[in-house]
Amino acid sequence: MLRLTVSRALNGAKSSPTCLSVASRYQSDQKKPDKIEVFIDDKPVLVEPGTTVLQAAAMVGVEIPRFCYHERLAVAGNCRMCLVEVEKSPKPVAACAMPVMKGWRVKTDSEMTRKAREGIMEFLLVNHPLDCPICDQGGECDLQDQSMAFGSDRSRFTDIDFSGKRAVEDKDIGPLVKTIMTRCIHCTRCIRFASEVAGINDLGTTGRGNDMQVGTYIEKLFMSELSGNIIDLCPVGALTSKPYSFTARPWEIRKVDSIDVLDAVGSNIIVSTRTGEVMRIVPRVNEEINEEWLADKSRFAYDGLKRQRLVTPMLRDNNGDLNPVDWEAALITVAKVVKHAGNSIGAIAGGFADAEALIALKDLLNRLGSEHLCTERTFPLDGSGTDLRSSYLLNNKIAAVEEADLVLLVGTNPRFEAPLLNARLRKAWVHNETDVALIGPQVDLTYHYEHLGDDPNVLRKINEGDHEFADKLKRAKKPLIIIGAELLERKDGGALLSTVQNLSTKLNSNEDWKVLNVLHKVASQVAALDIGYNPGIDKIKSADLKVLYLLGADGDHINKEDLPKDCFVIYQGHHGDRGAAIADAVLPGAAYTEKQATYVNTEGRAQQTLVAVSPPGRAREDWKIIRALSEIVGAKLPYDNLNQIRDRLDEIAPHLTRYGNAESANYFKQAAELSKKTESAIDCKPIDVKIKELQDYYMTDSISRASPTMAKCVQAVLKQKQSACN
Amino acid sequence: MLKVLTGVCSKVGATLSKRSVQTCSVLQHDNLFVHRDTPEDNPGINFEFSSENQKRVEAILAIYPEGHKRAAMIPLLDLAQRQHGWLPISAMHKVAEILNLPNMRVYEVATFYTMFMRKPTGKYHVQVCTTTPCMLRGSDKILDTIKKELCIGVGETSEDKQWTLSEVECLGACVNAPMVQINDDYYEDLTEKTTKEILDEIKAGKKPAPGPKNGRFAAEPIGEPTSLKEPPPGPGFGVRKDL
Amino acid sequence: MTSQAVRKTLKEVKPILSLNRDEARRRVLNLYKTWYRQLPYIVQTYDIPVSVDKCKKKLREEFTKYSESNDIRLVDMLVIKGQMELKEVVNVWKQKGHIMAYFKDTVEPKPKDFLSKFLNGKD
Repeated sequence: MLRLTVSRALNGAKSSPTCLSVASRYQSDQKKPDKIEVFIDDKPVLVEPGTTVLQAAAMVGVEIPRFCYHERLAVAGNCRMCLVEVEKSPKPVAACAMPVMKGWRVKTDSEMTRKAREGIMEFLLVNHPLDCPICDQGGECDLQDQSMAFGSDRSRFTDIDFSGKRAVEDKDIGPLVKTIMTRCIHCTRCIRFASEVAGINDLGTTGRGNDMQVGTYIEKLFMSELSGNIIDLCPVGALTSKPYSFTARPWEIRKVDSIDVLDAVGSNIIVSTRTGEVMRIVPRVNEEINEEWLADKSRFAYDGLKRQRLVTPMLRDNNGDLNPVDWEAALITVAKVVKHAGNSIGAIAGGFADAEALIALKDLLNRLGSEHLCTERTFPLDGSGTDLRSSYLLNNKIAAVEEADLVLLVGTNPRFEAPLLNARLRKAWVHNETDVALIGPQVDLTYHYEHLGDDPNVLRKINEGDHEFADKLKRAKKPLIIIGAELLERKDGGALLSTVQNLSTKLNSNEDWKVLNVLHKVASQVAALDIGYNPGIDKIKSADLKVLYLLGADGDHINKEDLPKDCFVIYQGHHGDRGAAIADAVLPGAAYTEKQATYVNTEGRAQQTLVAVSPPGRAREDWKIIRALSEIVGAKLPYDNLNQIRDRLDEIAPHLTRYGNAESANYFKQAAELSKKTESAIDCKPIDVKIKELQDYYMTDSISRASPTMAKCVQAVLKQKQSACN
Repeated sequence: MLKVLTGVCSKVGATLSKRSVQTCSVLQHDNLFVHRDTPEDNPGINFEFSSENQKRVEAILAIYPEGHKRAAMIPLLDLAQRQHGWLPISAMHKVAEILNLPNMRVYEVATFYTMFMRKPTGKYHVQVCTTTPCMLRGSDKILDTIKKELCIGVGETSEDKQWTLSEVECLGACVNAPMVQINDDYYEDLTEKTTKEILDEIKAGKKPAPGPKNGRFAAEPIGEPTSLKEPPPGPGFGVRKDL
Repeated sequence: MTSQAVRKTLKEVKPILSLNRDEARRRVLNLYKTWYRQLPYIVQTYDIPVSVDKCKKKLREEFTKYSESNDIRLVDMLVIKGQMELKEVVNVWKQKGHIMAYFKDTVEPKPKDFLSKFLNGKD
């Protein structure tokens, strides 16, 4: 929307001279003008020209109240709460929208400013219901806080003729966001978020004056994978979380910082708990990963953590039923089988496995003499394979995506595989004139991109310079190639990766800029590859195994038919999903909110989750289960507590315990050189991605499959797709 | 309808004690700012510009420079309204499609302006001005006459879909008060009689001449001028002698 | 300077009951004797399934637990606590369970090694 006008101005006027003038003006802006001095409450501050009063005030630590202003959204200037007095100005000015001028003296606490704020607050409250006691925002409401801090101490509002306050009809915008539009103060943050960040232009204002409403006009689902963020953005209780409604108050919940594991981005989250139950999940600011947004699946799938859980160890009896047993019996039975199997034991790690469990399982199997350790998701092993980290990381880091001027997406749909990466791409596309091209099925990414078809040979042509896009890539100063991990699971994945690696080394002119980026789909993959798991389960299928250990492997990659008949399957995990269904022994593990565990995201950044609630029933932390089993098997692992196992992690890969840091990979050239040995060729099968549309996004793993909220989302999207208004 | 509702409310409020709980709220506008699907107005109904209007669409679009085509939204919505008599949701969708804009951006504009009629409107839209100057000159009587003549209330459409009556704020013809606007034409300086005549004439399929109905050409005084009758004084008029 | 201050504060500590070690020792022995003589009645009153001999052993055990205590103030405080305890027992302010708690035969030892901790679900 924002970008539309500009891009069309440029494209439409290709032959006209206006195009040139725009371009030249853009370049002449590079020279930085001098800083100017302004005074905020008599404190001098030097700022760049174009800084707003509000930003200048923030620099000296003066916070000006605001409702509509938000750092990550366009300035609207319609709430008027940020009015401040500027010396020699007859009227107060809106601090959020007014750029400072040289020598301005801004008074943020003068009589005029205070009066202006009180007046605005009075107007807002006249049209706001006093339903704080039944409002979910109560306790964390900007309007509450600011009316206490800046509002008048008495009200002039009397409902003289008992006509009632303004009332606005609630809108139904889906199963995630509850609307109570009477509370809306028309800050338009949600509208701006929808059109700028989410790229869904479904929200807007209708009517005018006192009758203005924020809504969708027609009854329509807000079809975005980032819709939950408008709940956080809403300064009042007009948009609240539907699953969380009326369940808890902000002052009675305990907040635990954690990491999201439902995609490979590793968004930072805060898990709010009360009485040993996860009440909600909200994002935590991390500029390098998720800014302050969070994808809907990560935010709302938490009710899946309470359903379908494995709460007790289980063993399959002769009738084929799983019977609950206690830990001792379960471990002894499992240990007996494991001991009997000798070294013909294999393990598959699923998408939610943490680094501690992965290392413990690897150590155990190695001690038993087995090397059959695999991840559920496969990755090409030709060339350097997974030996060099550079070939499987999002090397250029998520935040740096914004700086790119040309992005080539290959075989990925970032909108649903990593919604926050897609939000970054959209941000770059809107604000940084980044161009995007896609090889793969045509999907809606919320921004315009050049579709290069779904033929994998396009990639080869680009590499050989045989395609018109190759020139574009060559001309780009900061090109970026993001290749989906799903694409590399193909038979010719090795050849595709090798092509991209070669292409990237050709394009790489700047040492700090990394062209090659791999986008993973599951949270455990990078840690598993770092620790030394083999990608893919082909090895498991071919080996004649007596025991197979599934560490949360629910991805439907392995079936009973793939295994020898007498193979004993052990499933360790937190949900009774596909893995548990084929298991002979089930060991209940902890979900990501219930353990302190290490996860490495797709850019190679190690982060840890913290314990928010205790595991349900007899479930235990994953690495401890393996450690206990090892003792009974007779191959005791040398770590008894978290620190010791983290020391072990540190021994194998030191970056795994440097929390918050993304360890860069190197040896790109060597990896590319090795990849030239790849013998397989790219075949002609068109590139496909699994998650193409919104309804496919919500239920992808054992947690989200167990979540009723996610199921409702799928239903709502399908219903919306059938209706006439789209 | 609205007035009836508020009337009932105020009566209830008066009879009950002042402390009673208020249960109904005042509707502040007789237009809804959300869309409700109806048989006449739903997204399933197709809307296309007629071939001659299609030419007009192109002409309108040509006025605006590349990159600013969305400025053509209001003219296009107006064109759609003129073609269809009012503005159904599918027409908004059509305009959004032409301008390559999200539907919401068109809804925003269409709901902002009161002259976009978003519900079925009669062939003749009678807008009676009842703002102060017209009211002082007797617009209430004019309104009553029209109500009686057309057998419809304010905000209603006659059953044969010929007439819609609305009460509007100042239309800027105060010198010729009272006045009504029927579609694009102003009928000014009305009396009950002339109002009736105009309506009858339209009903008979004729088009009454727009403008003042009391013999004036425009806003000049009726009959003789009452002031400024003498020839204009020359230079130096009213200036002190000693200058 | 500092050592002086320490000495001064040490000097100025107020005695709780006893002025010297002998006096403190006398008080301890007194308390012990009183308890000792009371034991048969305690066993009878509370009808506990323990013999008087076992109680005497326990009494001795409870006293020798603090045999290392040399601080007069600490000894005095322990004596006072012992007297309070005795009073509660003699006046039957306690119940059978409280008396039996001295014998701690129902308390399970805390798991120490990893495996038993794991099986018990305790960290």
